Amino acid sequence: MRGVAIIGCGMTKFGRREEDLVELLAEASLRAIEHAGVSDKDFDSVYVGNMMAGELVHQTAIASSLVDRINLAPAAAERVENGPASGASAFKNGLLAVASGAADLVLAAGGEKMTAADTDVITDLVSTMTHPIAEYVHGVTLPAMAAMLARLYMERYGLTERHLAMVAVKNHTNGMKNPYAHIQRLCTVEGAMSSGVIADPIRLYYACPISDGAAAVVLCPLEKAREFTDKPIRIAGFGHATDVQTLQEREDPAVLKSVKIASQQAFKMAKLTPKDIDVVELHDAFEILEIVQSEDAGFFEKGKGHLAVEKGVTALDGELPINPSGGLKAKGHPVGATGVAQITELVWQLRGEAGERQVKDPKRAFACNFGGFGNNTVIHILERAW
Amino acid sequence: MQEKFMGFKCRKCGRVMYPRHDRCLSCRGREFEEAELGKEAALVTYTKVYAIPEGIEMPPLVLGIVEFPGGVRAMGQLTTDDPKIGVKLRPVWGKLRKIGEKEVYGFKFEPVEKG
Ligand SMILES: [Zn+2]
Repeated sequence: MRGVAIIGCGMTKFGRREEDLVELLAEASLRAIEHAGVSDKDFDSVYVGNMMAGELVHQTAIASSLVDRINLAPAAAERVENGPASGASAFKNGLLAVASGAADLVLAAGGEKMTAADTDVITDLVSTMTHPIAEYVHGVTLPAMAAMLARLYMERYGLTERHLAMVAVKNHTNGMKNPYAHIQRLCTVEGAMSSGVIADPIRLYYACPISDGAAAVVLCPLEKAREFTDKPIRIAGFGHATDVQTLQEREDPAVLKSVKIASQQAFKMAKLTPKDIDVVELHDAFEILEIVQSEDAGFFEKGKGHLAVEKGVTALDGELPINPSGGLKAKGHPVGATGVAQITELVWQLRGEAGERQVKDPKRAFACNFGGFGNNTVIHILERAW
Repeated sequence: MQEKFMGFKCRKCGRVMYPRHDRCLSCRGREFEEAELGKEAALVTYTKVYAIPEGIEMPPLVLGIVEFPGGVRAMGQLTTDDPKIGVKLRPVWGKLRKIGEKEVYGFKFEPVEKG
């Protein structure tokens, strides 16, 4: 397989948006194409990560609609669906298309339009990712699963609610510095801990908001990247793994085995270890997940992730900044967009283009996008190629 | 109405699973027979859900994961609003919720009285 580089990226502001889904995808895609300096080039393939356009905005075949809107035809185009990891899956497909030699210029985008629907409808649609017989019919929601995982952590590892609030405060603080973030409001530990309970011990502030938005990146062979940019980003490794569907049937319900396996695959391919990583984006749809993923990806010992938060290790100026973008918590979580938006943030960070939230001189970055409730995980490791 | 909470036992290696898989998680065997998971199970974790899906009666909805003596676990509604990790529960058949106009039945878990 040949080396693959990201030569440009772009995203829309996340939040409650007036535009429709294809308009959001077009905005992000055009920004990425301009950032890459390939406005006059023909694309070979387009991959669009999206989870629920048919259900939420009554539109299907959105990849065809996107290429029409921004005149990319006759590029091959397809929608990629992998639950909330649709974005990273779309990116991974773009990576493989270039790596295999089948394509030389690829657009990988992701987007979701969610705020036009009622919260109840969204919660129910997202719950349909769970097992139809062993989970869904019992009334389980994703917040309920996060709550049961958090309680296991409290019992076993001494996690307290305060730690969940601390992750939220960190991510809100970072989000304040991100002009693309949905939520741009500071919060305090006390404020987070007095927000409403969704599924005890998960409160409103320990969960991401419902957002609209899109993100996109442009990929090409590493050997050609210098024709377009002085700052290409190489994809050093990726991993993608699944686990049994239900939380209760996992070997240990407190371990996200798909995160573990996908991370190990990515590190092996990149010939790197967690110590080599300078900046990380994790899938904190719930703040407990940032803690658990930070351990199962290999950055902290199992059961010690919350202590790293306590010590400020994961803050913007800490040893290992996690979610400088504000994470799903503050940046927002338009589900199909999230995986591509994580990559976009890390490209900006590695190129030194992250503005006020710039991490000091990062060379290698790690992204974890998470489908289902931890049973389908896509990991990417990026590094500077200059 | 079902009396016993049943899982699926692999005819080749004997592993019991719930829910059903078409290939055994241990040996990829394809043949299964039903096997009762147990009369009692211990509570592993739980939550009280306040933002509840449509078709479920008033909050909170108490959900938990229980573990049967053989190690097989199941998720379900708890009939107590004062759950404690480790407490013994037993499966009882009942109405879970409505989905659209349809009433859905299944096993919930109720505390086993002491003595
Ligand atoms: Zn077997």
